[in-house]
Amino acid sequence: MDALLHVLVIGVLLGGIYGLVALGLNLIFGVIRIVNFAHGELVMLGMYGAYLAYSLLGLDAYVSILVVVPALFVVGLVVYRLVLQPLHGESSMQIFATFALVIIFQNVVLAVTRGEGYSVPSRIAGHTLELGDVRVTVSRLAILAAVTLAAVGLHLFLQRTMVGKSIRAVTQDRQAARLMGINVERTFMITFGVGSALAGLAGVLLAPIYTLSPGIGGNFILAAFAVVVLGGLGSVAGAYAGGMIVGIVEAFAGYYIDPELKQAIWFLIFLAVLIVRPSGLFGQPGAEEIGFREQE
Amino acid sequence: MDATSAAYVETRAARAGGIPRVQRAAALYLGGLVLAFVPLAVLSNDAFWLTVLTYTYLFAGLAVAWNILAGFGGQFSLGHGVFFAIGAYVTATLFVDHGLSPWVSLVPSALASAIVGALIFLPTFRLKGSFFAIATLAFNEVALVLANYAESLTGGPRGIQVPFRAGFANMIFADSRGYAILMLGFMALAVGVSVVLMRTRLGYYLLAVRENEDAARAAGISVVQVKLRATALSAALTAVGGALFAMYVRTIDPPTLFSLPDVGVKFALLALIGGMGTIVGPVLGAFLIVPLESYLRALLGGSLPGLHLIILGVVMLLAALFMRRGITGVIDAALVRWRHRRRHV
Repeated sequence: MDALLHVLVIGVLLGGIYGLVALGLNLIFGVIRIVNFAHGELVMLGMYGAYLAYSLLGLDAYVSILVVVPALFVVGLVVYRLVLQPLHGESSMQIFATFALVIIFQNVVLAVTRGEGYSVPSRIAGHTLELGDVRVTVSRLAILAAVTLAAVGLHLFLQRTMVGKSIRAVTQDRQAARLMGINVERTFMITFGVGSALAGLAGVLLAPIYTLSPGIGGNFILAAFAVVVLGGLGSVAGAYAGGMIVGIVEAFAGYYIDPELKQAIWFLIFLAVLIVRPSGLFGQPGAEEIGFREQE
Repeated sequence: MDATSAAYVETRAARAGGIPRVQRAAALYLGGLVLAFVPLAVLSNDAFWLTVLTYTYLFAGLAVAWNILAGFGGQFSLGHGVFFAIGAYVTATLFVDHGLSPWVSLVPSALASAIVGALIFLPTFRLKGSFFAIATLAFNEVALVLANYAESLTGGPRGIQVPFRAGFANMIFADSRGYAILMLGFMALAVGVSVVLMRTRLGYYLLAVRENEDAARAAGISVVQVKLRATALSAALTAVGGALFAMYVRTIDPPTLFSLPDVGVKFALLALIGGMGTIVGPVLGAFLIVPLESYLRALLGGSLPGLHLIILGVVMLLAALFMRRGITGVIDAALVRWRHRRRHV
């Protein structure tokens, strides 16, 4: 019973990480339908942003959120405006372009840091809490809290604000949204910015846990795609639940089956869901129907 | 690139469906091969450029193989690393454990890959666009985990080492020019298959499926069957490339075979930059990117870490932004302009 609880806690904490990274990707993939390979690199930039804020301004990792998240929002706007918007309607070229961005971001950071691994200290991240028999570090609890808050916040943003409503409108039908007077291009740009900002948030919160390296984004990107498809495109609750499912499956598979196979197992579940119910567990049926061609 | 004029006619023909007559197609094909051989003849004494050319021919062939399913059929696969790895593992294992000549092993490699490809892609064919891309990407990742895990089959993370036993029957050459010719032969095979394919019923069906699946179905084409056959063909050719790669580098391990930037996604990048859905496009993409990558690495690799990849990334980004239809698209547009001007002078 102890082991079960322990594995469950590990799974939920891991799920928090996946959910947080997937939240931003869910917006970008779910709304704009861009397979953004560079999302992991946006997370990586967020991590290095936290380091920069620490080394230049002496900010604690959790305080640097105030600087890094807006900065990543701007990065997202710029990337979308300069690279992805000109390629609108050319889905395969957009994949190609985001892959080029992966190479550029990774290697610019590599060139600047000369491959040195950094870590970001935080005064509170290292503490542990005891929940019964299970010890949990504050840094991982912070992620769980953040993903919950971010999910609720994003949900409210999408439901209550005009910008959020326009994002939902272009997700459902971009032609109709345009006819209703919504500026589709601007909405996409903001969506990409918000998605990048969420990636930056994930990066900052992950910075105290991992040693920073330019290629670290690759650790999250495939899991994040799996979460997005599992949970359902454009569904905030789906990203949250999907993250938990992937995290818990990974923890249980790692403990009860074989640690080496844990990734294969959730990938297989992901494939099964994709094939049986392509709209995801929480997505609107039919959301996946839009192929490359129909977008134009 | 020097193969441009031949390239132009072939791609135009393939795209428009107005295929040139058999003799003309054969002449263009042979002419293109001779052109592709020229750099080898010129550079065969330079060890660096010989290696670069060997990889260029190999990846040109692989991009052409990928293009059969993705370019002609519109199924944007990011899982071709699986087929590449199957070819490499089958051939290396049969050679190391059973002493079977790699030339013979090409057949079981291609067959195994075609069967696996058909089986794993079958359930994903109802997915469209980026969903198909992500599902096939997941295949690549599952296969990576399994290859690391199944140590008895693949040697696990340590991989498989192929002993150096030079000899034509072993596909191991003491003179590295042998490998360059081998890869040129592979490229010729892949392009030849594409040329023939585009003159067959299956080729036309593929284009029909790519352009409009529902219309193709309404016209009586069995869409799933067409996709399956294209997958099998594409996977088989990719496996042959993987087998040759294994015999060339003689050390294979999961991180190399399932690498996204160097294998699985690279096929797509080369074909996209050259011109997807054309016969010569993927070849041109490989002839641009592979030498550029190697040259930049040799030139800048020692200075600032990552600098050569930054430049490569920027080149790719600019290519994506300013050559939407790839190199062949630029050539097409230029030729159309030129003809137009000549007609109106």
